[in-house]
Amino acid sequence: MKLEDSHISLAHGNGGRFMRELIDEVFARHLSNDTLDTNADSVALSLPGERIMFTTDGFTVQPLEFPGGSIGSLAVHGTTNDLAVAGADPLFLSLNAFIEEGVEVALLERIVADLGRAATETGVRVAAGDTKVLPRGQGGGIYLATTGIGVYRHPGVLAMNEIRAGDVMLVSGPIGDHGIAVMLAREQFGLRGDIRSDAASVLPLTRALRAVPGVRFMRDPTRGGLVSVAHEIARATGLEITLDEPSIPVRPAVTTVCDMLGYDPFYLACEGRVVAVVAPDAAAEALRAWKALPGGGDASVIGEMRALVHGGRVLLKTELGGLRILEELEDDPLPRIC
Amino acid sequence: MRSSPQAPSGAHRLLARRVVLTGHVQGVGFRPHVYRLAVARGLTGWVQNRMGAVHALVEGPEEAVSRFLREVVEQAPPLSDPHLSEAVETAPEGGGSFTILESDAGSDVSIFVPADTSVCPDCLREMRDPGDRRYRYPFINCTQCGPRYTLIEAMPYDRANTTMAGFPLCEACRREYEDPSNRRFHAEPVACPDCGPSLRFARQGKTVIAQTEPALAATAAALKAGDIVAVRGIGGYHLVCDARNEASVQRLRQRKHRPDKPFAVLVPEAGVDGLDGVRALARVSARAARALSMPHRPIVLMPRREDAELAASVAPGLGVLGLFLPYSPLHVLLLDAIGGPLVATSANPSGEPVLTTPAEIEERLSGVADAVLHHDRPIARPADDPVLREIAGTVVPLRLGRGNAPVELSLPFALEKNALALGAQMKATVTLAFGNRAVISPHIGEMEAARSLQVLEDVSRSLQSLYGAPAGVLLCDAHPGYTTHRWARNQGLPVVPILHHHAHASALAAEYPDAVGNWLVFTWDGVGMGTDGTLWGGDVLWGRPGNWRRVARFRPFRLTGGDRAGREPWRSAAALCWAVGRDFHNTPDGGEIARRAWDKGINTQETTAAGRIFDAAACLVIGRTHVSFEAQAPMLLETLSEGIEGQATPLPISCGESGLLEVDWAPLLDPLNDRRRSEGERAAGFHASMAQVVPDLARALARQFPFGQIGLTGGVFQNARLVREILNRAVGLEAPLRMHRHVPCNDAGISFGQVVEYAARARGEDG
Ligand SMILES: [Fe+3]
Ligand SMILES: [Mg+2]
Ligand SMILES: [Zn+2]
Ligand SMILES: [Zn+2]
Repeated sequence: MKLEDSHISLAHGNGGRFMRELIDEVFARHLSNDTLDTNADSVALSLPGERIMFTTDGFTVQPLEFPGGSIGSLAVHGTTNDLAVAGADPLFLSLNAFIEEGVEVALLERIVADLGRAATETGVRVAAGDTKVLPRGQGGGIYLATTGIGVYRHPGVLAMNEIRAGDVMLVSGPIGDHGIAVMLAREQFGLRGDIRSDAASVLPLTRALRAVPGVRFMRDPTRGGLVSVAHEIARATGLEITLDEPSIPVRPAVTTVCDMLGYDPFYLACEGRVVAVVAPDAAAEALRAWKALPGGGDASVIGEMRALVHGGRVLLKTELGGLRILEELEDDPLPRIC
Repeated sequence: MRSSPQAPSGAHRLLARRVVLTGHVQGVGFRPHVYRLAVARGLTGWVQNRMGAVHALVEGPEEAVSRFLREVVEQAPPLSDPHLSEAVETAPEGGGSFTILESDAGSDVSIFVPADTSVCPDCLREMRDPGDRRYRYPFINCTQCGPRYTLIEAMPYDRANTTMAGFPLCEACRREYEDPSNRRFHAEPVACPDCGPSLRFARQGKTVIAQTEPALAATAAALKAGDIVAVRGIGGYHLVCDARNEASVQRLRQRKHRPDKPFAVLVPEAGVDGLDGVRALARVSARAARALSMPHRPIVLMPRREDAELAASVAPGLGVLGLFLPYSPLHVLLLDAIGGPLVATSANPSGEPVLTTPAEIEERLSGVADAVLHHDRPIARPADDPVLREIAGTVVPLRLGRGNAPVELSLPFALEKNALALGAQMKATVTLAFGNRAVISPHIGEMEAARSLQVLEDVSRSLQSLYGAPAGVLLCDAHPGYTTHRWARNQGLPVVPILHHHAHASALAAEYPDAVGNWLVFTWDGVGMGTDGTLWGGDVLWGRPGNWRRVARFRPFRLTGGDRAGREPWRSAAALCWAVGRDFHNTPDGGEIARRAWDKGINTQETTAAGRIFDAAACLVIGRTHVSFEAQAPMLLETLSEGIEGQATPLPISCGESGLLEVDWAPLLDPLNDRRRSEGERAAGFHASMAQVVPDLARALARQFPFGQIGLTGGVFQNARLVREILNRAVGLEAPLRMHRHVPCNDAGISFGQVVEYAARARGEDG
């Protein structure tokens, strides 16, 4: 800790010496790389490829730190995962930090360090950044926004309109860990036990599928979880998606918490999983590729696309053989049982 | 009835009248009836089906014509319910005979879709006569019996518009079909072994036996050996097994993943009135006996006899049995062969509509049935068996289905726009309303199931086309999470959401068109969304359709776990205990997570639901934390209370926030937990306490909210013990107590209530 103050004040956002110190001592120190120049107005990037991919994302997670990650690592994984599932290798990030007056500098530093570590592990460099300080009460401690640039590296075309009836859906690992871990941390449940966020880079997973012909489309099931991805696909393709409940990997601890709280894990956010749609004859190979990776052991074929029966829908084939409608996520689902 | 000006009288004067008969005149042998009467009176002219109404011209001596007009209604066939809506004098046409004209698919909308009816005594006699050409034929029928709704694909009701269109009549059948003096004259599904449907017995998807008689024999042999056989019937398949074979019934439970929900039992006819077999299993009141023998042969819930010879797992832990008599010739033949009761439960994964096609059975139930008895008469749309129960001296429907649906009721006000009401999330039905008519579909299913939505779409479409009444507005429950609410919003039609309990109350009110003054309606069920966005279910509404006001409720409590509360009574018990600062120990593993969620209000909703108070009581008395079907816990509690006098614990009524009277359930907890008393005493006491709430609240509300009648609606009032206690305790109240008679008090009645509520509001806006 090199800053004089232990807490962020409005002075850290006024463009003067305090701000200079904040950037140097916290941001530059943890994020430095050969491209980042905190004195320049702009930087030149050299991009090794034809198809440049570009994305942006904002991060407002509460609490700022949770088992398995923090808003810092999330700001890297969230944006680079969006590039990765689109078939790209992420290369550069920009970072905007909105810090609320009164935030502990030590906390900020942990988060920025986390961000730096995640960037290094993922192989991206933070190439530009900005910080703002918000008056007390006008922010959730820290908000981050990252913009990512990458180059397309997938050998074929990845798009929803590549999806055909008969294609199958795979997921790379257990779902719901992130959603439950963050919720338990936010509500200070103080549960012993080990539900950790799955927040991680999915780049190894998406890269592994580059060798598999017949991959149609990939997406990371973040907000709204698996069901929201399935609904997007159903809407865009006009196909019906049947998910097979027993095949969907969910950790027992997550199931227990969901059962107790009345949540459905299929709607919970993940931050380190990939949903892929592949041609039926590519499923086995895709599964093998994922299972060979560390953390890919629970990868599974979880559903299939069928020609429209009664309008694009997402269905769940239950453990007991029933076929249940999975409706689109609602903000605050109310019980329906009369 | 319009009538032409009186002409000078004279017995020999020739007279011609154009007659229109409406009401239930289709699929009931009405045209032959008109024909026979006209010929018998020496009249000439014609008769014709015109989209639901029967039109006729009768010509002859004035006296004979008058007699015809009287007798055509007085001597109408038993299944019909005609109304002579026109008899206008017209110019004689001078034809030499009386003829039946081809049906005319005109644009008249007074259509009545006929319902399925059990095999009649005449057909039964033929079926059992070795000399008859339909001896042992499982598809025998006539104008007075047989399938109707489940095989009609379009109106008017003619063979070409039914699923029998693919079975061309043989010479012998054609002669009967075309002979106006024959009882099969224009019996649209008429068939015989030579030209009609046949049976096919299959194991593991492979046809083993393709002839009717050997297929029947193989089925009987399989059932006797303890196998589970899926049998295609009138409105869908049943899963059938020997009801006295405990191992078979248990196997069926395991394979169907249905551990507890009672199975209906098909009982052979025996004795003078056919009910001796039923009497050996249950205590049959005179009312229940009449209900069992009604033409559509419903399932009737009756108190089980201690010595009933049935497998224990037919209805585990429950004091009532659902029994019914065979209604199709196929069921009669099967029961004849077995000579004892058979479990006959809808063939479907739990909560879904009954399956109707061989392909669905192969795909969805291959692991459940050992064998299948198929037939090849297609089922146009599913109809589950209807269920009735005697509650406090009245036999009321709990489920609408084969033979008692489509149910038609009159609306108090005529609609400007045809409306299609989509019902609730559970026990869904749809109601199509046009003019002042409301047609309620058979039971569809739980809307969470994908197939329920498909069937709901199909039934909605076919009702609109059968009745020639395309909907101009859709009515759905106000709950935004209901499947039908979301579906309605995607149909491109105006949508009017109706609050769940407004629909319950309006459905009840519409059953009593002569009621005077306001209603005070107790709406007790699971949960439904209320005006304030909280979940109602233990409330009192005051007013009338189109204008309800919530005037009292149970003290609200907070439930965790969302929809899971319906299957986990411990959540309700915990909610009540936690709300008053008591401990609750009977939580499952992980219960401390729920407790913390309850403290913090995570996924926790406020409700007044009386159904959940019953769940809580069942959990506290029996210790049952989880159930396998909704309402199981209250049913167990009701059974426990049987034959035991209950002591009511008075529940205080106070004036809560916003002027609502509030009943506090808290004093129930001590007696429910009182281990010094037996489970039965505690169950009986709880019923008494809940029942006492009705007269107590009615008295407390009477001054400020005057009412002409008190209504009871919502699934909680399927509890016969509760209703009986209420009636006993309501003696001395000035206003009469009203319950449902034609429409179930549970959510199956919601679609009808939505229509009533909408019609009342639409009228309110006009005037
Ligand atoms: Fe209800
Ligand atoms: Mg994103
Ligand atoms: Zn008959
Ligand atoms: Zn024939």
